[in-house]
Amino acid sequence: MDTQVKASTTPVAGPLPNALPDPAAVRLSILDMLYRAKASHLGSSMSAVEMLIAMYGSVDVKKIRDREPGRSRVIVSKGHCAAATYATMAHFGVIPMALLDTYHMNGSHLAGHVSHAVQAVEHSTGALGHGINVAVGCAIGLRSRGIRNALSLALVGDGEIQEGSVWEALMLAAHLRLNNFVALVDNNRISSITDTDKVLDMRPLAARFGGLGLAVREVDGHDVAAILAAIRELTAGEQAGVVICNTVKGKGVPFAENQPIWHYRPLNDELYAQAKAAILAAVGGN
Amino acid sequence: MRGQIIDAIFARMARDPDIFFLTADMGINLVEKFADKYPQRFLNVGIAEQNLVGVSAGLANLGFRPFAYTISNFAVHRCFEQIRNDIGIHDYPVVLLGTSAGYDNAPLGPTHHVIDDWGAIKSIPEIDIYCPSSVTYAGFLVDHLLAAGRPAYVRIPKGEYKTPDSTAHFVMLPGSRQDTVLVSYGGVVQDCLAAQKRDPSLAVLAVNRLRPIEEEKLAAALKPYRRVIVAEDHFPSSGLYGSLCEIAVRHRLNGRLESLAPRDYTLDVGTSNAYFHHKYGLDADGILAAASA
Repeated sequence: MDTQVKASTTPVAGPLPNALPDPAAVRLSILDMLYRAKASHLGSSMSAVEMLIAMYGSVDVKKIRDREPGRSRVIVSKGHCAAATYATMAHFGVIPMALLDTYHMNGSHLAGHVSHAVQAVEHSTGALGHGINVAVGCAIGLRSRGIRNALSLALVGDGEIQEGSVWEALMLAAHLRLNNFVALVDNNRISSITDTDKVLDMRPLAARFGGLGLAVREVDGHDVAAILAAIRELTAGEQAGVVICNTVKGKGVPFAENQPIWHYRPLNDELYAQAKAAILAAVGGN
Repeated sequence: MRGQIIDAIFARMARDPDIFFLTADMGINLVEKFADKYPQRFLNVGIAEQNLVGVSAGLANLGFRPFAYTISNFAVHRCFEQIRNDIGIHDYPVVLLGTSAGYDNAPLGPTHHVIDDWGAIKSIPEIDIYCPSSVTYAGFLVDHLLAAGRPAYVRIPKGEYKTPDSTAHFVMLPGSRQDTVLVSYGGVVQDCLAAQKRDPSLAVLAVNRLRPIEEEKLAAALKPYRRVIVAEDHFPSSGLYGSLCEIAVRHRLNGRLESLAPRDYTLDVGTSNAYFHHKYGLDADGILAAASA
């Protein structure tokens, strides 16, 4: 691998914030990143904010930051929500906040898909149906090493689950009863260009996962406490788990909510101002 | 040679707690001992090769040294993106063990002819590529792979060949003249040796490691020869012929570089690989005909 790419970003040290980040504050960071970079994937980043907060909130982020071998593994399989991933990590104190300014910039490590060139990112993703398999491998590895106080969590999109490899991963997780593994499905009901239900109707989703032998919870994907509780319950059980997080694509940005085009469209000055005002109004609201 | 590799891995597992052996439901009467002795470091992921590779990457993330075993065509062609993204981009020291090479599965049809596997892998720079031509090299290979600690693909030919009895990454078996050298790897080396037996003037060069190639050393070995005939059970442009063409240009080799190889898929049915080696001029008769042309 190219050594420049392999180089890690500046490590962060010292104590970490105690409270969970405010989702609106994370959204504001995402908005700034996307606006500055004229970047896409606003919709899919905004839908996953509370999920990412709950995932990092469920594990010891200090161990992740310090790359301890026995750390939990958080793997973002829908790699196109990179802005949300980096922003969440920064708000947890895992990477420097200033690093977010480099998103999409020349010479940066912060690619538009999640990249392990960024310190504490576990696995690079971007092609769909990869990260979840790696996360299952991590869960198996944690179990094999006898590490019981760590989890392997995978964030997958509801469009991503159309990839066959996702089901290979889930079948194995179910068969091995990997109760240290939880897949969180960002069920925003929109994939790349249209509604998932129109493309491949997977409803009822919970029954499909349940039929494989997975323990399933279905929650409001914008309710951090509900997602945290679901992860806690599932990992206290005996089966591999799935949390279906019902979300709104583009959440928090009124003109982008539920609009497939915001998978692709960059923000102009006017829309950025509108979006910022809407998100600022929500700061501190959760 | 499959047996030597599997046995070497099994033996190393006793003193190397990081080795993890995975299969995609292949290896009957071969892999069961792993399940019996090392249930925490053995996994049959089922007929799910994409998951085989992805799970191996996850285990590598945990510091394991995964060996992922299945038939070559399933390992490579189905999982190209997993190999590229989850192993190559991450530099994970996962070893893909592909059983079968060339026409080892001769009567099973073109889906099981492994004639374009390592050429595909060659397009991913991070992955080292091996194709043992003898049990000696196969037996040595596992220790070498563990010491190298790199992503690797091992193309394992069927057969138990004693010659060339060498652990070198390539080995020259000189002829009585330095005029024509037959270059090959894997099972086709045996066809070259059979040709050499009938015409001792021919030299044979067996390549066990297809990438990285010890380029300076190999170029020096080939330099004296007027003719270099590459015989391989793989498409030539993405195979060793292609690799040697680059080396020949870079090192200004003056010898004529020729190829004996299949150039397309075939629906022909043959009982064994001998049928296809004959069809593509890879048997001793075909090689001698090319050498005397």
